[in-house]
Amino acid sequence: MAPKYLDERKYNTGEIVFSEGDASAEMFIVLEGNVGIVKKVAGREIFLAAQGRGDFFGEMAVLDSQPRTATCFAIVPTTLVAIRSGELLMKLRRDPTFALEMLQQMGRRISYLEHELAKVMEHELASRQEMAKIVAKSEYAAGDRRP
Amino acid sequence: MMTDVRESRLLVTSDTHVGNLFCDARRGLIRFLDYARANHYNVCINGDGIDVQYTTLKKFTVETAALVRELRRITDDITVYYTIGNHDIILEHYVGDWGGLRLVPFLNVTSGARRIRVEHGHLYDPSLMTHPDLHHGIRRFFALLCRMYPPGYHWHANYQIVRYRYLRRLLGQDRQWLDSPTTRDQSPSFVEAAEELSQRGFDDVIFGHTHYAGMVPLNGNRARYFNTGSWFGQPYYIAINDGNVELKPWPQGAGH
Repeated sequence: MAPKYLDERKYNTGEIVFSEGDASAEMFIVLEGNVGIVKKVAGREIFLAAQGRGDFFGEMAVLDSQPRTATCFAIVPTTLVAIRSGELLMKLRRDPTFALEMLQQMGRRISYLEHELAKVMEHELASRQEMAKIVAKSEYAAGDRRP
Repeated sequence: MMTDVRESRLLVTSDTHVGNLFCDARRGLIRFLDYARANHYNVCINGDGIDVQYTTLKKFTVETAALVRELRRITDDITVYYTIGNHDIILEHYVGDWGGLRLVPFLNVTSGARRIRVEHGHLYDPSLMTHPDLHHGIRRFFALLCRMYPPGYHWHANYQIVRYRYLRRLLGQDRQWLDSPTTRDQSPSFVEAAEELSQRGFDDVIFGHTHYAGMVPLNGNRARYFNTGSWFGQPYYIAINDGNVELKPWPQGAGH
């Protein structure tokens, strides 16, 4: 049961919690079940992460009033606790270590994103080097054919 | 700082107050750690394991040196987590991994299918949080009195029991859970804090700090609050075996 000042919400399998681009000022804690986070990239849906019991998500909407950057749906029947901005401050006063756990989880997400970014950059660098080799080869071949 | 851990076998105790002028739990704690090692349990000392507030330099040095030697010996075989309390708050400067000894502010344990929160609980003590200077002033004065007259500590402990069992009832502040024999000594502030934590997806919340061992069901039995009491009197500990959480007394005589 959620505390009186927080909303507890139940979702069935596949039900959307929020969609990419939605304006909202709530974050969520998973009380029971699992949710999936997906994002549209070049018209395709990419699965970003699954969040389980005790995890939280959607905090950017509360902290920075940003529209949703991804879509969230229930993977199995799920119960979430919704926290709006004013309630977050109340929650932090009543449960002070929650702030540290938020920082820990956000730190882990930044590490993961840095790792993924490094992989993308590495891939792009390799593609560029490959492209440069092809260009150099074609220029060399063109040079050979020059009179 | 790694606060999320997975453990199949873990023992939790708290408030051993090694170094405290009125508590002589050092030998008992060493036996407890030996027991854990022999039975392949990892251990969590849930705050106030050592006491830097009510001690003398001589007593503190002698008592903690023996404990540190024991910790060095056993941490080759088992992991010891040490969550920081208020009587050892200075250890916040040492938060991190020290080989097999891990100093953390709290611990989120996944065991079997259960999520268990282990925290000393001083952050939820209203008197400590709202008037810390007054709290420490009263405690220092009380420590001085106890030093002059040691049975005073036990008078204080008995007063707290009377306060929670009877005075609150007389003042009309009673709650249903106070009538349960396992729960009647638990302060409502800590039960409410445990309830708040359980609503973040914890099945069990374990505190120390209050010095009163017990168990309180939360949210209509969906979660439980445990307290491991202290080693000033009868020591208690919690044994976690693949998600099964049990509060047990540490055999009398073994604690001292």
